[in-house]
Amino acid sequence: MGDNRKSAAEDLRIDSSPQPRLLRILTIITALGFAGTLALGFAVVGTDIQQGEIQRIFYIHMPSFFGAFTAFGLTVVGGVIYLARKRETWDRIALAGVEVGLAFSLINLLTGSIWARPIWNTWWTWDPRLTSAAIMCLTYAAYLMLRAGIDDKGKRRAFMSVYGILAFVTVLITLFIIRIVPETIHPVIVGASPQNAQGSFEATSGVATALLPSLLLWLTLMPITLIWHRVRLEARIEALNRLKLQVLGG
Amino acid sequence: MKPFSAISCTVLLLVSITGGILKAEDGEGASTPYFQSYAFNVPILAGWDDQSTDDIAQFQLAEARATIRTATVAASDAVAGAEAELAAITGAAAPQPSYRDKVNLADGTWHVLVYDVDDETTASLMARQAGARVVVISFVERDPAARTTLLTLAQADDSHDDASPEIALAAEAIGGLALSELAEAGRETLASGEWVVYTGEGAAAMGMVFGNDSYVALQVGAPGDLAVLADAWNRTLLGFFITPDNSRYLALGLAVVIVILGTLVGSLYWRERNRRKDLALLEQLAQEGD
Repeated sequence: MGDNRKSAAEDLRIDSSPQPRLLRILTIITALGFAGTLALGFAVVGTDIQQGEIQRIFYIHMPSFFGAFTAFGLTVVGGVIYLARKRETWDRIALAGVEVGLAFSLINLLTGSIWARPIWNTWWTWDPRLTSAAIMCLTYAAYLMLRAGIDDKGKRRAFMSVYGILAFVTVLITLFIIRIVPETIHPVIVGASPQNAQGSFEATSGVATALLPSLLLWLTLMPITLIWHRVRLEARIEALNRLKLQVLGG
Repeated sequence: MKPFSAISCTVLLLVSITGGILKAEDGEGASTPYFQSYAFNVPILAGWDDQSTDDIAQFQLAEARATIRTATVAASDAVAGAEAELAAITGAAAPQPSYRDKVNLADGTWHVLVYDVDDETTASLMARQAGARVVVISFVERDPAARTTLLTLAQADDSHDDASPEIALAAEAIGGLALSELAEAGRETLASGEWVVYTGEGAAAMGMVFGNDSYVALQVGAPGDLAVLADAWNRTLLGFFITPDNSRYLALGLAVVIVILGTLVGSLYWRERNRRKDLALLEQLAQEGD
């Protein structure tokens, strides 16, 4: 009984803990950074001579993939440390990484499709890079569905940690496939494009002006801020669920 | 200001700003008319006679006796497609090319071919395999007084923004000229970009750099219309395949980004709100229990 009261008090303490100042600052910087990088890419940098306006989608398309890379990378870190130490916080980080990473990779996939229509003359083609990106999204969507289907907390956390670590293979395949499989029409921005590549453009200094800040934002601030919010939320939801058991369970 | 409010306000602000920008750009972009087919798009050349059909873009400039044509041909390889297309334009079988090269452009590997069809007909073609078909962009000149050649050459390195080294290569390979026989006559800014111009006795050359490649136009015989031909050719090449005025796709892309990020942030907010409601209910139940 005494333990229950102590636990309930601890849960209420978690629940009423104020948002860390650093997280508030990060959130505001991220929001302003997002606005600023969009303004750079959409209004400041010049229009591409060959592709026209649609090339500006690049300033979101590529950075969003790297944002997903960071988020899914944190899922691996969370999974490995959870398996080693069995601390719930790391499992929450892994879960948050998947949610945020999935949103970012969907942005990457859909903006790519929208870009492809006026440049490749098609919404979709079963190109190795596009196919691997789609498989990556489905793999992480399956993570969320599987997680919701396992009742036992311990088993769920352990199983999903392993899943999250293994799923990262799809991210690496998506990242490197255009350098391994030459039969791709997806261009490479850094380095020589494959022979069949279509729709690349010259990364001039104007492109770099908009790309680098955007890449930095999506790679670091956006995933970290969103994951932090999600981790805090998950901790509170778990605390609430424990409170529910204590109050309703008598 | 709360973080969620900051994000919401930023997203709303961005929607309104970018909407305005795109609307303005929509109007500006519509000024370039394009030939559009299921396979490609090319700019319609102003001042040229438009002889295009449903799936062939063809423009003729009578005073220069020149034709620029873009079409797709069913062929097993790019060179065979180029020769089939040349035969379709000239009505004669294509001879052996007098110049042949490959260049890796942004949209793939193109074959660059030059043919001296007969005494008065010269053709410069670029061809690229695209699935079962070959895209061919052709320049054909039927002028006994001039021989105009239009080439794309990959730069040996990316160190120079002047096409002079490639002009020298082309002049020697095509016209048997040394660059020293031509004198630099300055730079000329055309719709397709800035060109360096060389002139000599009975010959002229122009070149522009775009990316890692140089575009070279060489005319031997009766120079005079080289700038017009070079500019039209390069506008066709650089504008090839692009859906004109594609700002609506950009707006769609931006909308997708905002919807996905909005859903993510909104779901965090929504779950937090539900949690608070549940917590309030639990507290109420606990008080009633006491």
